[in-house]
Amino acid sequence: MKDIIRIKSLISADVEMLLNQQIKKEAHSSSLYLSMASWCDRNGFDNSADYFFKQAEEERAHQLKFFKYVLDMGGTAISPDVTNIKNEYNSFREVFEEALDMEVNITQSIKNIAARCHKEQDFVTLEYLNWFFKEQREEEYIARRALELFDVIGEEGTGRWEIDKHVGKIHYSNEA
Amino acid sequence: MQNSTTEISTLWAEVFSTKEGSVHQCDSENCWYIDFGGKISRFDYRCLLKLKKAIYAMNVDDILLNSNKASDLEIVFICACDHFYILNIMEIIAFQELLEGTFVMLSLNHILHDCLYRISA
Repeated sequence: MKDIIRIKSLISADVEMLLNQQIKKEAHSSSLYLSMASWCDRNGFDNSADYFFKQAEEERAHQLKFFKYVLDMGGTAISPDVTNIKNEYNSFREVFEEALDMEVNITQSIKNIAARCHKEQDFVTLEYLNWFFKEQREEEYIARRALELFDVIGEEGTGRWEIDKHVGKIHYSNEA
Repeated sequence: MQNSTTEISTLWAEVFSTKEGSVHQCDSENCWYIDFGGKISRFDYRCLLKLKKAIYAMNVDDILLNSNKASDLEIVFICACDHFYILNIMEIIAFQELLEGTFVMLSLNHILHDCLYRISA
């Protein structure tokens, strides 16, 4: 008896479900970054707003990358609902704390997909995920460094203005 | 997977069967034939997955605990598929059992293929 499901799709139903969940998470992250950009802009942190606009675009690109992969492998990519986006923050620092939290959650989520792929011996998807792991190294590094500016510079006096000035300059240069 | 002795089954391999129904695979057409509820219906890959999703989504507990006066019949309509089912609670349970068994057997078939191809590669 032929393995028709395998002929039609390279990925299993479980991996497909996890990838669709990841598509939703990336879409949610992109929307959250937009709301952070909006908050920063409203409160006069122009450079941080630009930084979050850029992050929103990156998350959207990640979402599309996962979306395309699911389709290319013969699966059904699901365009997600994005709801419950927080639009108000209590402080400048809280915005960056949430941004780091979000990146950590995304990394954990991709690790979870990789764990499933290991279990199923889906080496094709595992290899595909490597790009995202490398990307997450950079994303987490930048988010962590941005938050550390609050301790290094301090928020007193013109501190927040100085932090805003430096946020866009954070660069991850590890070529490893 | 065993082939039964009837003429039709020389083309169809039985995937799984219960007292209430059976699922056969047709390799030449890349599809499955589901014998359930008094009819035999043809499902391709996409439609079979949609059927699985629709049938698994039915919560038997909720239907049993529902005390409103509407009948206990559920209509299963699958988008872009030629078939639909009108099922009572017993048929829903039976259909879920049939599909669960079917997908277990298809997974087993996949594992066997995976092992055989890797060994022969």
